[in-house]
Amino acid sequence: MTASPIIRVRDLVKEFRTPRRAPGVSGALRTLFTREQNVVRAVDGISFDIAQGELVGYLGRNGAGKSTTIKMLTGILVPTSGEVVVSGRVPWRARERNALDIGVVFGQRSYLWWDLPLIDSFELIRRMYRMDAATYRRELDRVVELLELDELLGTPVRQLSLGQRMRGDLAAAIVYRPRVLYLDEPTVGVDVLAKERIRAFIAETNRSEGTTVVLTTHDLRDVERLCRRLILIERGTVLFDGRIDELRSRYAVGRQMVVDVVEGQGALDLPGVDEVRREGSRVWLTVYPDLEEIVRRIFVEHTGSRA
Amino acid sequence: MSAALFSTAWQMARLEMQTFLSWRLNLGLQVLGMLARVYFVSAVWTAVYAGRAEVDGVPLETLIAYLTLANIHVWVIYPQTLDVLPPRIRSGAIALDLARPIGLLPQLVARSVGGIAGLTAIVIGLLPIAFLVGSLRWPASAEAGALYLVSVVLAYAITLAIGIVLGLIAFWTLETNGIGLLYYFVNLFFAGALVPLWAMPDWVQKIAELLPFQTQAYLPISIYFGRLAGTEALRALGIQAVWLALMWSLAVLVWRRAIHRVVVQGG
Amino acid sequence: MTLASVAWALFLANVRATLQYRLNVVIWFVVGIAFQLTSFFFLWALLARFRAVGGWTLEEIAFLYGIRLVGHGLTVFVFGGFQIVEWNVREGYFDRYLTWPVPPVLTVLTWWRPSSAGDLFGGLVLLAAAIRIAPVDLSPIGALYLVLAIAGAALVEAAFRFAFAALSFRFLRTSGLMFFVDTVFNTFGNLPLRIFGLGAEAALTFAIPVAFIAYFPASVLLGRTSELAVPPAIAYGAPLAGAVLFGLAYLLWRHELPRYQSSGS
Repeated sequence: MTASPIIRVRDLVKEFRTPRRAPGVSGALRTLFTREQNVVRAVDGISFDIAQGELVGYLGRNGAGKSTTIKMLTGILVPTSGEVVVSGRVPWRARERNALDIGVVFGQRSYLWWDLPLIDSFELIRRMYRMDAATYRRELDRVVELLELDELLGTPVRQLSLGQRMRGDLAAAIVYRPRVLYLDEPTVGVDVLAKERIRAFIAETNRSEGTTVVLTTHDLRDVERLCRRLILIERGTVLFDGRIDELRSRYAVGRQMVVDVVEGQGALDLPGVDEVRREGSRVWLTVYPDLEEIVRRIFVEHTGSRA
Repeated sequence: MSAALFSTAWQMARLEMQTFLSWRLNLGLQVLGMLARVYFVSAVWTAVYAGRAEVDGVPLETLIAYLTLANIHVWVIYPQTLDVLPPRIRSGAIALDLARPIGLLPQLVARSVGGIAGLTAIVIGLLPIAFLVGSLRWPASAEAGALYLVSVVLAYAITLAIGIVLGLIAFWTLETNGIGLLYYFVNLFFAGALVPLWAMPDWVQKIAELLPFQTQAYLPISIYFGRLAGTEALRALGIQAVWLALMWSLAVLVWRRAIHRVVVQGG
Repeated sequence: MTLASVAWALFLANVRATLQYRLNVVIWFVVGIAFQLTSFFFLWALLARFRAVGGWTLEEIAFLYGIRLVGHGLTVFVFGGFQIVEWNVREGYFDRYLTWPVPPVLTVLTWWRPSSAGDLFGGLVLLAAAIRIAPVDLSPIGALYLVLAIAGAALVEAAFRFAFAALSFRFLRTSGLMFFVDTVFNTFGNLPLRIFGLGAEAALTFAIPVAFIAYFPASVLLGRTSELAVPPAIAYGAPLAGAVLFGLAYLLWRHELPRYQSSGS
């Protein structure tokens, strides 16, 4: 494993300029002739390193700057200032070569060809990512089995359910074995069983392929299940960047609870609960707030009472 | 329709007009495009006249005035519903419309009226320019002007119905974007916005008489300029009334069939 | 796997996807033809009765018209994708294309639409007919010049579409502008510009380069360069204008792409 991080972000800033629009007819005329602009700092100086093989959760409220960061990492947007290096390249400068090395899944929109059978999307990806026939066959079989897509290959993408389409998007994003995978809300709107399947898939890909994964999500159960490290972002700045257990121990205040258990029960195995002592059928527990509660508290602290 | 429902319809119309007027830049460019087209047609005909005072008994100024008004008609009296409805059907938003206390047809009418009102207001605002430049003239007589207004209202009403019929087609087929453009060109042709109908070959004129397009521009404008006067003008209004009844019956019929076939797309 | 084969695969996929909507294909084909027929019928109705306009006969005007129409058909066929860029940007679909290892220009070029065939088909038919009846000089050099002229015509129109697509990255609503420019091309572009007078002819040469599309090349091939308001050399070099404008549009695209703002979150 190399010592240098695969993703390096330093003092990243992104400003958006929109023309200032005034209401009314006179306002509209003014808008046509002035250069007044609203400047919004979507990302206001963030820095972090991500090592190869990490599975990092990237959390923030809507409008906090998560998607903007991801878009700069993937080369879609050019930063106003600051530095981004992914796999030794600057994404927007070496856009195409960077693209060969990354997979992207945006939960809100499919990247598959809407009107064509699923298999056609894979064929096109094969060509775009310059996969030779043997490699393609092997990788396709691998992802089809992993995500149980074999019955869906002939179906036009527009006829797939949301969960099926999401699996298709995930398969398409990894079939060419990218080194980095960006997942933007991959479980949004998907049913409970499919969510678990998707989470298992992400965990497996990260574990067995060593793919670095950057996961942005609103569902903290995704984070609990998958990530060891969490970056919290609010109004364009990083609130917290570290391991989740560190988050718990720093912000979590455990409460003591004493419980009488039924005879013969084994050790209690619940998330967020530590067994401190056991005497006969009486158990002393320390109960910690769950991750969602912790994160909410952090946001409230940082922004005043605007949770 | 009760007062409450009427006020809701009124709100919809107003909202539609505001939405319309807020697209100012786009509108300005449409106006410019219109002006370019009118200028073009006038210039070509001027070259064609090559200094002659009259052709077919029509002086050049009358012809240009006719063409100007015809182009304005084709632009303003346009069945917007056929552009507005299909996207709503395709995205499934139509379900919201169907759930409202007002029926869909009254909603579409209200929306359409609002949209057209906005455009009409703008055109009326621009008319002084047309008169100043000399390309437009006053109606042949006060009576002609009055009958013209009646004719225009009838034309609007027919357009509404046509828009609804063509818009509802989206319940049966997913892809309807070409229909609007096709309608526009056919209408442009039969409105005589490029070549006045009286200057076209006989067989074309005969076909034009059988189609509803003449009700949109040719008939009202002929009344305006006095080409159709007295009983002939009334006959023209009668033709419009017949087409109005026909198109509205068709609209209601298609609407009933559409309801039977409500398949909400999307989601 | 070369870029060309990738482009070809994307193009074929787009064709397959579009052909699924069969009714749409038919309608758009008809629209393409109807659009051009309307304009041409206008001219025919006029000239059937008035023999000539500005000294140009129907046959000569048909030749001019044919050049523009084939050029226009080619533009829509090859570069039609540029029209959809603005919509893709506004709906947020364009992000996707920027995460592919393919230059976004190439992606756009593969957005084929069935309407394109209608214009091109109509144009070829008209030009073929016009060549037979018009007093055109079609020596081998003349034929070569005609081909270059058609390419130039296509590039002039394409340059505008390209430029407006580039400007839409900054959320400028360019579709209205494109509509206006299209209107000018589709009306004034089909006729000898001298009938509009010197002022208009100048505007339509140097403000909006309509003259370079078909008027100049047609004048050259019909031996009418003496009646032009510009030196014959400019008329002969008309195809070059298309290439230059297209090159400028490409530079604009390259300049605007880093300023892409994306939409929503």
